[in-house]
Amino acid sequence: MSRKELRQKAKTIAKEHEYLPYMIERYLSLWGEEATMQFIEACEQPIRTSIRMNPLRAEPEKVIERLKKKGVKLEKIPWLVHGYYADFEGHSTPGAFLEHMLGYYYVQGVPSMTTVEVLDPQPEETVFDLAAAPGGKTTHIAQQMQNSGKVIAIEMDRRRIASLESNILRCGVTNAIVLRGDAKKVEKLGLKPDKILLDAPCSGEGLIPLDPTRKSSKSMADIRFCATREDELLDAAVNILAPGGTIVYSTCSIAPEENEYIVDDILKRHPELKVAPIPLEFGIPGYSEPFGVHLDESLKMAKRFLPHLHGAEGFFICKMIKEGST
Amino acid sequence: MKPELLDPIEWESIIDTIDREFGQGVTKKLLGKLTPMALVEGNWRNIYLIPTSWMNLLIEEAPSGFDYHLAGKQLGVMTKDRFRLSLQILPELAQMTTKILTVSRQGAESFTYGRSILKESVVYLDFNLKRNQRVLVMDEEFHCLGIASLATDANRLSRLKSDDLVGKNLVDIGWFIRRLG
Repeated sequence: MSRKELRQKAKTIAKEHEYLPYMIERYLSLWGEEATMQFIEACEQPIRTSIRMNPLRAEPEKVIERLKKKGVKLEKIPWLVHGYYADFEGHSTPGAFLEHMLGYYYVQGVPSMTTVEVLDPQPEETVFDLAAAPGGKTTHIAQQMQNSGKVIAIEMDRRRIASLESNILRCGVTNAIVLRGDAKKVEKLGLKPDKILLDAPCSGEGLIPLDPTRKSSKSMADIRFCATREDELLDAAVNILAPGGTIVYSTCSIAPEENEYIVDDILKRHPELKVAPIPLEFGIPGYSEPFGVHLDESLKMAKRFLPHLHGAEGFFICKMIKEGST
Repeated sequence: MKPELLDPIEWESIIDTIDREFGQGVTKKLLGKLTPMALVEGNWRNIYLIPTSWMNLLIEEAPSGFDYHLAGKQLGVMTKDRFRLSLQILPELAQMTTKILTVSRQGAESFTYGRSILKESVVYLDFNLKRNQRVLVMDEEFHCLGIASLATDANRLSRLKSDDLVGKNLVDIGWFIRRLG
């Protein structure tokens, strides 16, 4: 298909499905027409609700039993230790359950739970969560660490800090320090964390199934703006990571410009940084040649969630190790 | 918020407040090997319990450009002369105190929506507790739902009507949800 034909086709599909043409044009280039149509169709379907059990507050087996008694249907998510698809049909919202108020579980998307599982924080480590609100990943990190060591949760947005604090308190997290400030200036803390999670603020292009307004709310310039910020945040994070440490970079965007391009750039600037394999069975490999642009081959070890392939919001997860000994 | 070490007089007054309400020695048990500190904003002093190994980061080498909002285990908040316990500490406190009001399933649900406790919801209340005593509100499965202040002496309970107020809701776990709208 010629460039002109591709543009014309994108324009037609975009008009019919209320997307901006530039988005469809990029999907066609990345995936071809059939997968693009599958993507569009999948974005019209609701995403299954999922929850994470919180052993800091209650034994997961007992919570599962309680929820089942209340008519909640649970299905284990294969690659997640405490993750379950949860069907609350016939009930009010999952947040209104007593078990939720008690912090026994956290309502969280599957890709978000997966990022922390990939990071694999261990007890007694120092872990940074660089864009922490509303706290799903911070509380997950703390539960993996069994409330030992410390989680430094950084959030820039004053309004979002309230939800971060509230979730930390509800979930019984006692090893967190919450800081409001610019994560790009994180070196001022003078710490060398063992692990860093950067779930970067992004254009949210993967969230179309949850927010249909995203089909037409962001321009290519917005994606470029986000990409610049993501690059700066990742650079700051890599600079403070302890030698031998692990960083997980993730976004809820499906745009290669916010994902593989960012990691490719950081790998060039930081030769000590290597993409590491993710030993969990989920998603598809990251792209090493999106839009015909040749990127670092190791990006195939990153993982992607796509709505039409995984029934989840679009997501990118890349695990990297900083060479050297701790 | 600005991190500060706790002045011993202030800490003694917090110990006294908690112990007076929930039993002698309770605060010491809650403290364990941790150290008390405050995050200060205006008249509010949020009291946290932290490992001593965090002191360097929080007090001695507090970095510029960052504002502290939470650190470790939240014990409560001091506003002017009054100390209020944090919801976070209540499940732990529930294991250490007998100042407990147990409520029915219906009463529990109503309490988590911010309502106070009526006689008809009371399942158990220690006979010796007096009016204005702060009590932990528990459901019948021993889940801690919040704190109430007794509106009557416990020994008068049998004389109350079913819709009479027994415990005034001071804080409940529904706050976690209501706070976020």
